[in-house]
Amino acid sequence: MTRCPKPEMWVRYAAGELADRPRRALAAHLESCDACRREVRDLARGLEAMESLEREPALRPQMLDTLERRLRVAAANRPTRPRVITLVARYGWAAAAAAVVAATLVLHWPAESPPTVLPGNHQAESLQEVAAAIELLRVADNGTTPLPPQNLFPAGRQNELDLLLELDDAGLLLDYLMSQDKLQG
Amino acid sequence: MALRDKDSDAQERRLAAYAPRVYGLLVRMVGNRDTAEDLTQETLLRAFRAFETYRPEGKFRAWIFRIARNAARDWLRRRPLEPALGLDADWAERAPPSPRRQSRPEDRLLHGERASKVEAALRRLPAPDREILLLRYYGELAFNDIAKVTGEPLGTVLARAHRALKKMAELVPEEES
Repeated sequence: MTRCPKPEMWVRYAAGELADRPRRALAAHLESCDACRREVRDLARGLEAMESLEREPALRPQMLDTLERRLRVAAANRPTRPRVITLVARYGWAAAAAAVVAATLVLHWPAESPPTVLPGNHQAESLQEVAAAIELLRVADNGTTPLPPQNLFPAGRQNELDLLLELDDAGLLLDYLMSQDKLQG
Repeated sequence: MALRDKDSDAQERRLAAYAPRVYGLLVRMVGNRDTAEDLTQETLLRAFRAFETYRPEGKFRAWIFRIARNAARDWLRRRPLEPALGLDADWAERAPPSPRRQSRPEDRLLHGERASKVEAALRRLPAPDREILLLRYYGELAFNDIAKVTGEPLGTVLARAHRALKKMAELVPEEES
């Protein structure tokens, strides 16, 4: 006879929460072990006893009325948040990533000289950071957020000022995410 | 604005559907029907207010039941002098049974007797053990999810469940077929 599994394992077995392979292994053990069979029978009886309770007990109508009224009041009092705030709440870290990119660009901006085109590799790094942030968001959303179109940041855009203007007010990235928002309401 | 109203309606309906199960959990955690009704409303209102920030990282149901469980825990902490259970021992009987269980008078009687025994057995369990069974039954949560709801290691949750189920089997006679 194989060694008896831990009692906790039988809880998952009795509750039907094991994958096929461990479940079959435990079932095989049960065939040759009276003690474990008794253990599983007891656990199954305990689970079955719970079934005697109403899973969805009837509620008093006045309680439901009150709940409905309170939910209506809560809905009416819900603050209407600006889109960008809602986005920041939902995609806060992505907004932070965009802010870091913007801050990096600002810090590298020459203080006294007119805007000029920064070295190509610097801009490329900034764009890569934004793209990485979007990709991370996509992964975090289990792939429900589609990738941005390829022309979101056209490779031909060389003017650093254009990029800054678009990143300012966290607009471009977050508005894109909002327009693609697939989260259920 | 129309979209927001539509969203709110859908959220209200979605949350209200949980009211009976949330109540079923809460009334057995706090042992008092009026308090359980208040906490059920509080739970669903909290969930409604937090809906916009809810992120679907886990099961929605687990999220709701975590709010409910925490609401009950908070209430029990604020009322240390009141016994958690036993004041309102007829909590189950005061609710009318569902139509499924109203079929025949003899069935209703047998079911009522057995349900009373189950309620009595539940009251005899230590609160943390009872909580595991209630979360599993009313939330229909897997033990993994229950561990996330209670913030305990899975092994602890399973050990509690094991102890509680064995006790229930000991205290509640087998159902005659």
